[in-house]
Amino acid sequence: MNSLSQKKRKTIRFFHIHSTFIDILKYLAVIFAMVWLISSGTQKLGYNWQWYRVPKYIYTFKDGRLGAGPLIHGLMVTFQVSGISLLLSFAIGLIAALFRLSDSLAARLLARCYLETIRNTPLMVQLFFIYFVLGPVLDIDRFLSAVLALSIFEGAYASEIFRAGIISIQKGQWEAAYSLGLSPVDTYRRIILPQAIRRILPPLTSQGISLIKDSALVSIIAVYDLTMQGQVIISETFLTFELWFTIAAIYLAITVTLSVLVNFLEDHLRVLG
Amino acid sequence: MQDKQFGDYIITVDNINKTFSNGVVALSDFTTHIRRSEVVVVIGPSGSGKSTFLRCLNGLEDIDSGAIVVDGIPLDDNRKNRLEIRKEVGMVFQQFNLFPHMTVRDNINLAQQLVRKKTRADATEMTMDLLKKVNITEKADAFPAQLSGGQQQRVAIARALAMMPKVMLFDEATSALDPEMIGEVLEVMKTLAREGMTMVVVTHEMGFAREVSDWVIFMEAGKIVEGGTAEHFFSNPQEERTRVFLNQILT
Ligand SMILES: Nc1ncnc2c1ncn2[C@@H]1O[C@H](COP(=O)(O)OP(=O)(O)OP(=O)(O)O)[C@@H](O)[C@H]1O
Ligand SMILES: [Mg+2]
Repeated sequence: MNSLSQKKRKTIRFFHIHSTFIDILKYLAVIFAMVWLISSGTQKLGYNWQWYRVPKYIYTFKDGRLGAGPLIHGLMVTFQVSGISLLLSFAIGLIAALFRLSDSLAARLLARCYLETIRNTPLMVQLFFIYFVLGPVLDIDRFLSAVLALSIFEGAYASEIFRAGIISIQKGQWEAAYSLGLSPVDTYRRIILPQAIRRILPPLTSQGISLIKDSALVSIIAVYDLTMQGQVIISETFLTFELWFTIAAIYLAITVTLSVLVNFLEDHLRVLG
Repeated sequence: MQDKQFGDYIITVDNINKTFSNGVVALSDFTTHIRRSEVVVVIGPSGSGKSTFLRCLNGLEDIDSGAIVVDGIPLDDNRKNRLEIRKEVGMVFQQFNLFPHMTVRDNINLAQQLVRKKTRADATEMTMDLLKKVNITEKADAFPAQLSGGQQQRVAIARALAMMPKVMLFDEATSALDPEMIGEVLEVMKTLAREGMTMVVVTHEMGFAREVSDWVIFMEAGKIVEGGTAEHFFSNPQEERTRVFLNQILT
């Protein structure tokens, strides 16, 4: 039975790689078509492509030393904002999920209020609210405002994922743990969450990718992330098309790398499960 | 079994009632007293409240009224008492409920380390002894999914025994097993019974009841219809409903 399932798994993996390959081909075809469309379109517009001016905004070469250009500086800020927000949003999401599943009415109510408020208002409004209203009151700067807004916003979605993962674990697991005398905290920590997290890794990854994309919005409160740096350069140089293409490519590279990484991780976890 | 020595009452259940939120009455004015080292087999038709009775004994279900005392500890709203009782009462489930993300060894180590606060080395020592007892030492590093049903259930028994419980509850422990694996699990249960473990066993295995039970309870609709020794049950049950039920499962 065991060897059979292993064989099956191999077949599945084969098809998986196969279909990934086809997906990449399709993807390249679409990109190619788009490039062709845009280049023929811009020709009609009389757009003057100046790609050669772009590299210096990515890296600099001074006194024989390689340095980061403004876009890379922006990328680092994007990494910082997204990285911290990612951790915070998962923490907030997990706590909100536990509150929603708790026996305490007050905790459940609190979690519901949080979720409804956050999911029914735009991220931009939350960002402005935290920066312009809470910011002066609590004395928090742009960067922290950006991180807080993103974490609180994405946390609401992460909490739904955590909740779904937790309630997908069979009741028998709780009962076995309780019958052994484990406390609810130990049961969550050692039995329920380790199993739930394996199951929710794919949606959590999508959530992380959304977060990185949504982080572009922090440029509206003048946090100098990748998007903001791009806007500044464009306003000075009018390299509109070149820079937006470059910025999109950088975002794409990050998110694709992230999903590949998690896919890899997931395969390894599944073997253990 | 006549010569078996029983101790004092380790479990007393007095007039307990349990109605589920959907209105189903699972236990109604249920009373029974169980002595140390006694093996009690609970039989009855589906939905008669056998599982609910077991689950009330270790606080997996709350009772609406009545009293349960296990080894001198009252099972009430007090969390500490509930935890104390769960430490002393082991449970084996129909669906095994092993922790799928842990090896067999870690399944059995877990509660020893977390609840009994043993070191990993101490826990592992006992775990290996228990695996020997349930005859499955070679699978210590396997994951539950790599075991047969019978092996999984024997690991589940070892896991419960690792807490050194004073009472073991078995809820249809062999019902989910392929026929050829039932024997190996029953064998472990019989060994426990012979060693003097107090056991409450819900089962359809009448051979087991006949061989090791000290007392048999026949339940219907949340009530005890008849209680007696296995001999009494199989030779001359008093109640008509008991006779009908036994006829059904023995044929
Ligand atoms: N969580 C629950 N919520 C509502 N009703 C329940 C719940 N658990 C059990 N019941 C009901 O309570 C009654 C007794 O159930 P119980 O599981 O104790 O019966 P049982 O004797 O163990 O039956 P079986 O032989 O099928 O396992 C049944 O009518 C069942 O449908
Ligand atoms: Mg049952």
